[in-house]
Amino acid sequence: MNSAKVKVAKAKSKRVLDVLITYCILIVVAFIFFFPCLWLILASFSKSGSIYSFDGFFPAEYGFDAFKSLFTDTVMYNYPRWFLNTLFIAVMSCILGTLLTILTAYCMSRFRFKSRKAMMKATLLLGMFPSFMGTIAVYLIMTQFNLINQQWGLILIYSAQAPMGYMVQKGFFDTIPYSIDEAARIDGASNFTVFVKFILPLSKPMLVYTALTSFTWPWSDFILPKMLLIDKDLYTVAVGLMSLGETEFARFAAGSIFIAIPIIVLYFCLVKYMINGMAAGAVKE
Amino acid sequence: MKTISDIKKGFKSIPAKIKSIPAKLSAKLAGAKEILTQGNGKVTASLIVMGLGQLIYKQWVKGFMFLFIQAAFIVYFVLTGATDLFGFFTLGMREGNAWYGIEGDNSVVCLIMGILAILIILLYAVIYISNVKDVYRTQCAYDTLKQPESFKKEVGALLDKSFHKTALALPVIGVCVFSILPIVFMILIAFTNYGGDIVPPALVDWVGFANFGKILSLGQFAPTFFKIFGWNMLWAVLATAINYFAGLGLALLLNKKCVKGKAIWRAFPILAYAIPGFITLLGFKFMFSYGGPINYYIQQGGGEAVGFLGLDAKWTARFIGLGVNAWISVPSTMLLATGILSNINTDLYEAARVDGAGAWKQFIKITLPYVLFATTPVLISQFIGNFNNFGIFYFLRGGLYADGYFLASDTDLLINWLYNMSIDNNYYSIGAAISLVIFVITSIISLTVYVLSPSYKQEETFR
Amino acid sequence: MKKTLPALIAHIAVILALIILMGTLGIIAAGIEAEGNDKFTGEIERGATLRILENDTAKEQGYLKELLDAFNAKYAEYGVKAVDANMDQYTDLEMGGPYGYGPDVLYQANDALMKYVDGKHILPLPVEQLECADKVGEKAWDAYRASTGGQEYIFGVPVNIQQPLLFYRKDLLPANWETEWDKDKNGVPDMIENWSAMYRYSKQIRQASGGAKYGYMKSLNDGYFASGYFFSYGGYVFGGEDGKDISDVGFSKNDGYLGAKIIRQLASVMNLECTEDTITRNSYSRMAQGAYFATMTTPDVYTLFVKEMVNAGFTEEYARANIVMTDIPALPASGNLEDEDNGFIDMTAMGGVNGYAVSSYTKAPNAALAFVDFATSYKMINRRAELLGISPARSDLAETLGGLNETIKENLDKGSIYVMPSVRALAQVWTPLQTFCATLADDVLTGKNVYTSDEKLKEGIKNVDKQIYDAIHTLGGS
Repeated sequence: MNSAKVKVAKAKSKRVLDVLITYCILIVVAFIFFFPCLWLILASFSKSGSIYSFDGFFPAEYGFDAFKSLFTDTVMYNYPRWFLNTLFIAVMSCILGTLLTILTAYCMSRFRFKSRKAMMKATLLLGMFPSFMGTIAVYLIMTQFNLINQQWGLILIYSAQAPMGYMVQKGFFDTIPYSIDEAARIDGASNFTVFVKFILPLSKPMLVYTALTSFTWPWSDFILPKMLLIDKDLYTVAVGLMSLGETEFARFAAGSIFIAIPIIVLYFCLVKYMINGMAAGAVKE
Repeated sequence: MKTISDIKKGFKSIPAKIKSIPAKLSAKLAGAKEILTQGNGKVTASLIVMGLGQLIYKQWVKGFMFLFIQAAFIVYFVLTGATDLFGFFTLGMREGNAWYGIEGDNSVVCLIMGILAILIILLYAVIYISNVKDVYRTQCAYDTLKQPESFKKEVGALLDKSFHKTALALPVIGVCVFSILPIVFMILIAFTNYGGDIVPPALVDWVGFANFGKILSLGQFAPTFFKIFGWNMLWAVLATAINYFAGLGLALLLNKKCVKGKAIWRAFPILAYAIPGFITLLGFKFMFSYGGPINYYIQQGGGEAVGFLGLDAKWTARFIGLGVNAWISVPSTMLLATGILSNINTDLYEAARVDGAGAWKQFIKITLPYVLFATTPVLISQFIGNFNNFGIFYFLRGGLYADGYFLASDTDLLINWLYNMSIDNNYYSIGAAISLVIFVITSIISLTVYVLSPSYKQEETFR
Repeated sequence: MKKTLPALIAHIAVILALIILMGTLGIIAAGIEAEGNDKFTGEIERGATLRILENDTAKEQGYLKELLDAFNAKYAEYGVKAVDANMDQYTDLEMGGPYGYGPDVLYQANDALMKYVDGKHILPLPVEQLECADKVGEKAWDAYRASTGGQEYIFGVPVNIQQPLLFYRKDLLPANWETEWDKDKNGVPDMIENWSAMYRYSKQIRQASGGAKYGYMKSLNDGYFASGYFFSYGGYVFGGEDGKDISDVGFSKNDGYLGAKIIRQLASVMNLECTEDTITRNSYSRMAQGAYFATMTTPDVYTLFVKEMVNAGFTEEYARANIVMTDIPALPASGNLEDEDNGFIDMTAMGGVNGYAVSSYTKAPNAALAFVDFATSYKMINRRAELLGISPARSDLAETLGGLNETIKENLDKGSIYVMPSVRALAQVWTPLQTFCATLADDVLTGKNVYTSDEKLKEGIKNVDKQIYDAIHTLGGS
């Protein structure tokens, strides 16, 4: 008589346990990811610049000095300027790079042309070549095109190299059913229209992912801007921060935190597109 | 077992493929022969000067476009193209002397501009052939008394039937110039004597396979290479597996119905993602150093300081590397998996639930195959990314050579070793030769994996 | 049909002919000897703009601005304008210069500047025309001398001499130092005068505080500072007259191994942080906290010590009075820090001579030379010393300023400063040397005690020489 009840109770306690374990894991994960960030945040509020006047992880005294000097003491380290430079480069590379990557991935997923498989294999292989070796060549190319010491030179490189990573997006497009294309084509839509009107809206999660990654790469890259930008007023934040002195850790930390903010803001603005994908609905119709 | 038979099948098909090459070639030649035998005076005109035939057919816009391209190429050849091409072979003739303002030839620039000239000549050939094909198509249309396609229509096709040509033009050019050109450059450098004292303005020369000979004859080279290669493979496999499954697991965990405030939970890994990698690496290096906070607490607790990244910290340093790499990479894998999971067809789960499948079974039967299918390319690119992960050990444990290693430490990956050799020690040509060797090995491995992967073989599965 | 094939062939032939013609013309043009002429005509280029690369400290302390303003005022009649190049202070001229992106005048260390000589990236200077020509000592000029094509040239104008100095907290000296720590009664504490006493004092502090406080602290894996111990006992980087013979790597030569012994002993009074670069970075705040008594570094960071003292709650006046910079102590002749009785030898430390050089790619070499002349004048160097605390290479100024400046000048003259050889291969020295120094420190601090005998030490340092030799020759040798 009670067995049904026991079963229900068992199932319930199992569910409670499941929820409990889930949250435990989440808390641990959150801690792992958050703690180093917290440490950086606290360090930026340290009163003394040096990291070695801390008690373990935490500064001995707190203050806003680092932030103040970050934005006011700009003779040697013009952080606001660098920040705007980085923003400009990253936004432009993000727009161009996302466009090119999505286009490439879509074509590779939907069209069957002669050199397709060869191109797919080639891009895979090319990605394997140790990249720093090529930077010398990139530098030389840029000298020949007079694009050294110019922000557009960097944007050009970032957006031109972005399509190399089209694989992720292609894998995604492959999972969008062909039936959608076919239905649209029967209605007389051209391939261009199919792409813009039907595929793109379905690809919001992937668009957001692509935009985020193509934004963060120029945003935090160090090697290319270090090599291609000579004038200190053109520096990006990454290059600028690395030139900070040894006792300026608090300022370094404060600068790092400001770098992180746009990405976090971007994430919160875009998060809903990523999570509420709508393909499930589209297929049914 | 299946994969082994697949590989065998793949190898068996090679002779057949080779045999089919003459047939394919002759088919192409037949096409060319057809144009050459059937072509009329207008085709001849276009053969002599691009666009001329089209102009005679009164296809003004197209004709002038081809004509313009023809003119542009000739101008390019006259101005720099020809000299650049010659420079590729000579690698410069005249040594510069900046003291007297004598501008000499810069060998590496000669090389790179030479490659560019070759690329441009290839491009010229492609356009030339398409120009001839185009005018022949018009001729055929007239011969069969059909109206040739209007220019407007042809442009329209660029957005429809040949949309891929339009869409891929820019990415292909970009990739050619900024990805392929540098790689070809580095490969060719392996056959020169660039490096050491021979850097511009000194003139570089072609040396054939001398660099490879040097590597082979070097006693210290082989042991270091195999030691590093072994660790590099292990690292790439472990790091990829950890990042992939941790990212996927996290995405699944956050996808659970019982989790409230998903956006907030997800924000913690995003926070990690938002901080640039080099800052993270410097931070972790500090934390694990002798003077860092972790050792501070150990010593406060009465313990002995631990050299997490110290001289003998081979395995601890390796594990820390794996952990730090995961900290940096898991968030982006999680984001990706979240995006992919959101597109999964929920009907499948409902059906499975009706059949009484448990959560684990649903994962194994539906989620995993789906995600694996969508992400095999990612997996491969992550594997490559990890294989060539320069930053981790450069920042965590740079400036150290280990016992029994030639110019490397025991945590260095091949790419770090290459860096030590080519940048720190100036051996560009040797570095390029070694990277070519490594490149051949890794590309064979990953190409095999890729060609055997379900997402390559059955691209149509989920349609 | 008949015409199509010839048309194709004709097209290909014309294009090929065009390429071959133009390419051959290019090669013929390359064969024509270009006329070269001397750049220093003495005529200042009117309306030229000079991009000056200075170091960060000069910029930070406002010296650069003063210098530029003064120069621009003086040369206003020629319309010559000197501006801040606004580049990274370590900018590599070889990278940007040939393509037109480099500065016109550079201030860098002698090894950095002389690296550019092989590629002729910097101009040989007619230094005899300069006002400072006979004021700067021969040894300083030597750092910029090099011969190419059988002729000797001078490529840079010395500004200041760099050598590591001992930094210590005067207020942390033992209260009774005058009676207990001044054996020769010369009014200078022994630990400042010789490393043996420093070692004894460090040991005492460390024991008394139970490991919370230390005496002398320094990251021993820093090759720039550690190499001095080897030099002092006869070791060297490269052999040959000019120290540029890369076939002879000589850290182990003569009694070089004694340097390793000293490093190992010094490590025993420190902690494991000395095996990594932690101490280099934390010495500023640790000294301010009183956790370290002394360290060794270059004089340009003096202000950082003061800044950290102020952060720790001292007044700036107190900080300046108690952070003392002085010449490095002497080493025991026996190579054993526990020996204070058998005489001492001067320590030879690695150092350098910073100076100006003129880029070969400048459009206004004469104006650039005028700038160098102006910037190395008595007045400007004096101002530089005042603002930046450098030790001038000009003998007249070093004598006038006296004190440490004079000592450093003398150190250079008597060879106690091992001027960094300007050879490309120098870059390949550091990692093997640093790994060995870290190993020595680790050996004593973790109790492995492998390098306890002289034989072991000799073997170890010989191995370093071999590693460096291999790094330079196995791959590069043709």
